[in-house]
Amino acid sequence: MADNTFDAIVIGSGISGGWAAKELCEKGLKVLMLERGADHKHIVDYKTAAKMPWEFEHRGKTTQQQRADYPVIHRGWAANERVMDAWVPEKDAPYVEEKPFTWWRVYRMGGRSVLWGRHSYRWNELDFEANAKDGFGVDWPIRYNDVAPWYDYVEKFAGISGAKDGLPYLPDGQFMPPVPLNIVEKDFAKKIKYWDTGRHLINSRVANITQPHYERTNCQFRARCWEGCMFGGYFSTQSATLPAAVKTNNLTVRPLSLVTKILYDRDRKKATGVEVLDAVDNKTYEFNAKIIFVCASALNSTWLLFNSATDVWPGGLGSSSGELGHNVMDHHYNLGASGNVEGYEDKTDYGRRPAGFYITRFANLPGDKKRDFVRGFGYQGGASRRGWSNSIAELNIGKDLKEGLSEPGEWRIGATGFGEILPHHDNKISLDKTVKDKWGLPVLKMDAELKENEIKMRAAIKEDWVAMLEAGGIKNINAYDNGHAMGHGIHEMGTARMGRSAKTSVLNGNNQVWDAPNVFVTDGACMTSSSCVNPSLTYMALTARAADFAVKELKKMNL
Amino acid sequence: MERRELLKMVALLTGGAVIGGELFLTGCTNTAKNDVGFTPANISLLDEIGETIIPATTTPGAKAAKIGEFMKVYVTDCYTPRDQEVFNNGVVSLQDGFKKANNKSFMEATPQQRHDFLLTLEKEAKAHNTKRDEEDRPKREAQEKLNSTISWKDQKVFEGQPSHYYTMLKQLTLLGFFTSKTGMTETLRHVAVPGRYDGNVPYAKGEKAWAE
Repeated sequence: MADNTFDAIVIGSGISGGWAAKELCEKGLKVLMLERGADHKHIVDYKTAAKMPWEFEHRGKTTQQQRADYPVIHRGWAANERVMDAWVPEKDAPYVEEKPFTWWRVYRMGGRSVLWGRHSYRWNELDFEANAKDGFGVDWPIRYNDVAPWYDYVEKFAGISGAKDGLPYLPDGQFMPPVPLNIVEKDFAKKIKYWDTGRHLINSRVANITQPHYERTNCQFRARCWEGCMFGGYFSTQSATLPAAVKTNNLTVRPLSLVTKILYDRDRKKATGVEVLDAVDNKTYEFNAKIIFVCASALNSTWLLFNSATDVWPGGLGSSSGELGHNVMDHHYNLGASGNVEGYEDKTDYGRRPAGFYITRFANLPGDKKRDFVRGFGYQGGASRRGWSNSIAELNIGKDLKEGLSEPGEWRIGATGFGEILPHHDNKISLDKTVKDKWGLPVLKMDAELKENEIKMRAAIKEDWVAMLEAGGIKNINAYDNGHAMGHGIHEMGTARMGRSAKTSVLNGNNQVWDAPNVFVTDGACMTSSSCVNPSLTYMALTARAADFAVKELKKMNL
Repeated sequence: MERRELLKMVALLTGGAVIGGELFLTGCTNTAKNDVGFTPANISLLDEIGETIIPATTTPGAKAAKIGEFMKVYVTDCYTPRDQEVFNNGVVSLQDGFKKANNKSFMEATPQQRHDFLLTLEKEAKAHNTKRDEEDRPKREAQEKLNSTISWKDQKVFEGQPSHYYTMLKQLTLLGFFTSKTGMTETLRHVAVPGRYDGNVPYAKGEKAWAE
């Protein structure tokens, strides 16, 4: 095998790229994984993870210089001294906002698998049928039963903790024991369970392991996941898929390799490889392979397809349907409510959980009231006693103030809503060739917004949660909706959707680009609808499923 | 206390948002580093001011948490030039005001004299911030109204007048102390690696709060 020829190329090293590399390597293929950013080694490169909180010079706060360098990251809560090195310097990699779009990017080994929410829920049958039933978007080419065995498969390896709740619209999985609920949450769950049409408050299902798993130590309840975990307590490329892929001796990793194009052979109607811009020597290299997995994160995978335009496909590889770059989705975020819990003054807790509770979808499910929007939403939250007593506001300075602040206040409970956003054709991204990034490449232009269904759902997310809090006896409820720029849910997806027809979708039911069947897109770009649950577990399952299909097709000489 | 909880607490105790700029759209492009005169003498002064706000009791106070050094780093790196100026002038003003009132410097005074003087500043700051809020409110509302009618690209976040310098000193003391080693481990309690979670632990009044 020549130095630049492999069986498979995987573009990107995040959750999807890591899974693609692991699966293809374990099935015997020689795999090249390309990552645009620098290497970021498990444990040794988690520079802040072992520091004590007081060792941070600014105690978590970012500097004025960082505010200037990372304006997008400063729109949300992710601007924290501990993780600023993770985000891409925004001046190097600009994008154009036709409409406001908050794009959180990590350009280094492991991508956002090191910084993710870790909530891991299966989709249900209704999620895969939703587009066909209410007519938004196109029908998924697959159903729950196509993905269910792959959920089993990825859950077992990734390590998902959760309780078997036996709920009709949130399938149980292969779980480790759950991250516990505290007493306040358990009691609150009982109060809302039989209220109104019933609400299910369950343990969050998260990719934090509660038992030792492979070479990984179980979660130590430090709640510092985003800095990288030296115990491997949660699933990331570094803690899980990368070591598995490396173990096969089939993997070559090339960091600092920005893939600029997928090379397309018009006669064979297939991709032949990729063109790479080396971020160190600034030279262009070509690598060839029989199959290519595009896992560069939803919008960057779409960028790559755009930038792989040829005279055959002037709108980009996979553009023949006219859907490439369209149907941008995300999840509702930035809204919720919290309040005070009465009683429990004689209770506290121990340890810092990586997750709390999840309230499962009820809107537009059997038993629900009539709604003025389609689809649904869920909530993530927790109860804790970490605050102070309100009486300290009366204290000025000195001993009394200090002593007042040294004791905990009341318990509080709160949650944030996550809701489904529909695939609207005119929510789109495109290439803006008038703006170039640090590498002289054209950048993405974002043109997407919430529409009528989304705005109506947002009102319901807030109202319904406030009603639950009231039913649970919660006092001093503070509800908020800080608005939602697309992307802010960090669940951007849908810009190269799967479908049943090459005329209306970019990918088929096996994640193959209709126009180039040896190119597979398995990250968030492939999503045909968004459900209301966190998407990463589904990306894992779809990636493993596509890798299995790809290798079988290769063996049949079909690719 | 978690960082977000701590910020809320500091805001509540000092009657306003935590200084250091939480502006999201505009007004956050300042990059100049102003020298606000953090001489060793000034840092000792800030230590004593901090100690007056959070004194040593059965546990160490703000001075032991090196609050002056913390203020230097935080103000220099995280404050806007405008807030740095207010802080800098305020430290001078505090010394002058103290001398006028007590015929001696803050450093030479007794803890009680310091305490009493800071209480007068506490009242002055409250009045200042209230007046500021009243003056800013119509302008803020006008900007918000304007924002709702114009393209998102032209929208601006209203930046009000700065807080009183004493508000800054108190915020910095609380922030710095409750995130310091002594604050987190002696006045509050802290476990670096809990190893497990227990959501039903007995608590008796008087026991310390968790630091995070």
